Amino acid sequence: MEKLYKFLKYTFIILWTVFIVAPFLWAISTSFKDFQSVNSKVTYIPWLDFEPTLEGWRVLVKSPARGGVDIVEPYFNSLFVTCTASLISIVLGTLAAYALSRFTFKAGFVRNNDITFFFISQRIMPPIVLSIPFFIFLSTIGLLDSLIGLVVVYIVLLMPIAVWIMVDFFNRVPKELDETALIDGCNPYQAFYKVVLPNSIPGLIVAGMFCIIFGWIDFFFAFILTFTEVQLLPVKVVALNSSITPWWSLSASALISVAPLIIVAFIVERYLSKGNLSGALK
Amino acid sequence: MAKIELSNISHTYNPNDNNPTYALNPFSMTWENGKRYAILGPSGCGKTTMLNIVSGLVKPSKGKILFDENDVTDLITEERNIAQVFQFPVIYNTMTVYDNLAFPLRCRNFSDQKIEERVKSVSDTLRLSSFLKSPARKLTADQKQLISLGRGLVREDVAGVLMDEPLTVIDPDLKFRLRRNLKEINEQYKTTLVYVTHDQNEAMTFADNIIVMDQGEIVQVGLPKDLFEKPRTTFVGYFIGSPAMNLFNSEILSDNSIKFNNDTIKTKTDLSKIKDKNVKLGIRSEFIKIATDQKENIVSVKVTRVEDFGNFKLITGKAGDLEIKSKVEREIPISTEELKLHLPAEKCCIYSNEMLVN
Repeated sequence: MEKLYKFLKYTFIILWTVFIVAPFLWAISTSFKDFQSVNSKVTYIPWLDFEPTLEGWRVLVKSPARGGVDIVEPYFNSLFVTCTASLISIVLGTLAAYALSRFTFKAGFVRNNDITFFFISQRIMPPIVLSIPFFIFLSTIGLLDSLIGLVVVYIVLLMPIAVWIMVDFFNRVPKELDETALIDGCNPYQAFYKVVLPNSIPGLIVAGMFCIIFGWIDFFFAFILTFTEVQLLPVKVVALNSSITPWWSLSASALISVAPLIIVAFIVERYLSKGNLSGALK
Repeated sequence: MAKIELSNISHTYNPNDNNPTYALNPFSMTWENGKRYAILGPSGCGKTTMLNIVSGLVKPSKGKILFDENDVTDLITEERNIAQVFQFPVIYNTMTVYDNLAFPLRCRNFSDQKIEERVKSVSDTLRLSSFLKSPARKLTADQKQLISLGRGLVREDVAGVLMDEPLTVIDPDLKFRLRRNLKEINEQYKTTLVYVTHDQNEAMTFADNIIVMDQGEIVQVGLPKDLFEKPRTTFVGYFIGSPAMNLFNSEILSDNSIKFNNDTIKTKTDLSKIKDKNVKLGIRSEFIKIATDQKENIVSVKVTRVEDFGNFKLITGKAGDLEIKSKVEREIPISTEELKLHLPAEKCCIYSNEMLVN
C-alpha cells in the first residue's frame, strides 16, 4: 500500500514537472534553431537534432535598421516601470496598511475595514473598465505614451496588492510589539521602522514579489497607453509575430522575459526556506 | 525611580456613549519610591488598564498621573521613561539576545560601555549570559520572557517597572527563583516594582503592599497580613486565601455578640452602631481550631468531609445550614462525627453590607 502510494506520488510529481518544465526546454531548443530546423521534418531525435544557431537571439538586440527588432530598450523600460511602481507601491502601501492595522478611522459610516475593502475593490473591476478613464486622465496631464504615465497607472494597480497583503500581515503582528518599543524609548516612527518593519520583512517580500509579477506581466495597460515613444516588453514580444511566425526569436524573447521572475522566485524561495516567515512572537 | 501618584483616575473605553461603562472607577493612589506593589484581582477587573494608564499606552478619561510631583498625564510613553513587561513574551525577532537587552538603552543614547555593563549585569541575573549572541527568536518561550523581563530591568533610571502577569509562561521552579531575584533587584536598585497577577500566592510572597481590585474598583490596599486577617470586604475575604474565608449569614444579638446557628458568638467588634441586624460573620479556616477547654465561642458541627492536604487537614462540617471549614494540623486525629470548634473572638470579622465593621 505504502509502495503504491509512493509510486503514485512520484508519478504525479514527475508528470507535473514535465508539464511545467517541458515548455521551457522546448523554448530553449527552439531559440537556437533557424527557419529550416523548425519547419522541416524531424530527422533523428526530436528537439535536439539540429544545427544550433544564435540568429534567434541576435535579432533581439539588433536595431530595426539592420533587420533586427531591438527588445533591449523595451526590456529596460519594463524593468524601470515595474521596479519603480513596485517600490512606490510597497512604500505607500506599507504605510497605509500600518495605519489601517493600528489606528481606528471613522468617517461617517466608513471604518477601517471599509477602507481596506476600498483598496482591494480596485482590483475587482475588470481592467477594461479602467482603460478609458486612464486614457483620458493620462492624455489630460500629458503623460500618455510616457514612462512616468505608466508608472502612475501601475502604482494604482499594484498598491492595492501591497495594502492587502500588508494589512493582513500587520494584523498578525501583536500590538504589544509596538507598545514594547514605545516603552523601551522609541517614538512612534522609530517603533515602526526599527521594530515593526524588520519584523515584517517576510510580508514585504511577499508583497514585493506579487507587485513585481503583476507589474511585469501586464500587457493590457502597456498596450493601450503607449504608441511609439515608449514600449514595454510584453507589447514588444507580441509585436514580434508576423506573417511568418519567427518561432526562434519568439522563444528567445519569451525566455528572457521570464528570466527576471525566475530570479525573483529563486531569491524568495531561498528566503522562505530560511524559516524567516514563521513565528513572529511567542 | 520615582514616586508614582494616580490622582482621581478613571477610565472608560466608550466615552461617547450616554452611559459609559467604566473599566476603572475613580480612585487615587500613591506608589512610593522603591517599594513592591502587587495588583491582585480576577480577570477583567481593570488591572491591565491601570498599568497601561501609568505607562501611557492608555490615556485616562479623567484624572492625573504624577511622577515625583511632575504631571505626566499628557506625556507619551516614550517620554515617561517607564518599563513594562507583558504577559506573553514580546521580543525583537530580528535581533540577537544582546541587542534585545541593549535596545532600551540604545534608544536613549547610552554609551556603548555603559550598555555593555548593564546588559552583562542583567543577563547574569537572569542567567541569559550564554545566549547573548544567539538570535532571540531561537530561544524557548520562558527564555523569551526572561528577555522581556531583562529589557524592563536594564535601565536603572526608570520611574518604575510595571509587570503584567510576567511569570505566567515560566515553569514553577524558575518562577520561584525569579520572584526572589526581582525582590533582590528591588532591594538593590530601589526600583519601584508593580506586579499584576491573579495568583494570590505570587502577590503575597512578592509585594510589600497588595492592591486588591474587583470590577474596576480598588477594594483594599494593604499588607499581606491585613488582607488575610482583616479583609475589608467579603470579596477580599473570599478572593484571598485558600480555602476562601468562611462567611456566614448571621444576626446581631447584642453590642458584642451575634448569632451562629443556635450558638452565640462573641466578638471584639463594637456592634452598637449598626442599624441593619443582618450581618455576615467572616473567619479564616486557619483560625478555627478544635475546642479544648475554651468556655466561649464554641460551635458544634457535624463533620461531613475531612481532606488531607499533606501539611494540614481540612475539615468541612455543618452547623444547621451553615457550612464551616477548618484547617487543623494533620497529626490531630478526627474520630467523631460530632465536633466542637472554637472561633476566637479576636479573629471574627463582622460584615455589614459586605463591608467590614471596625
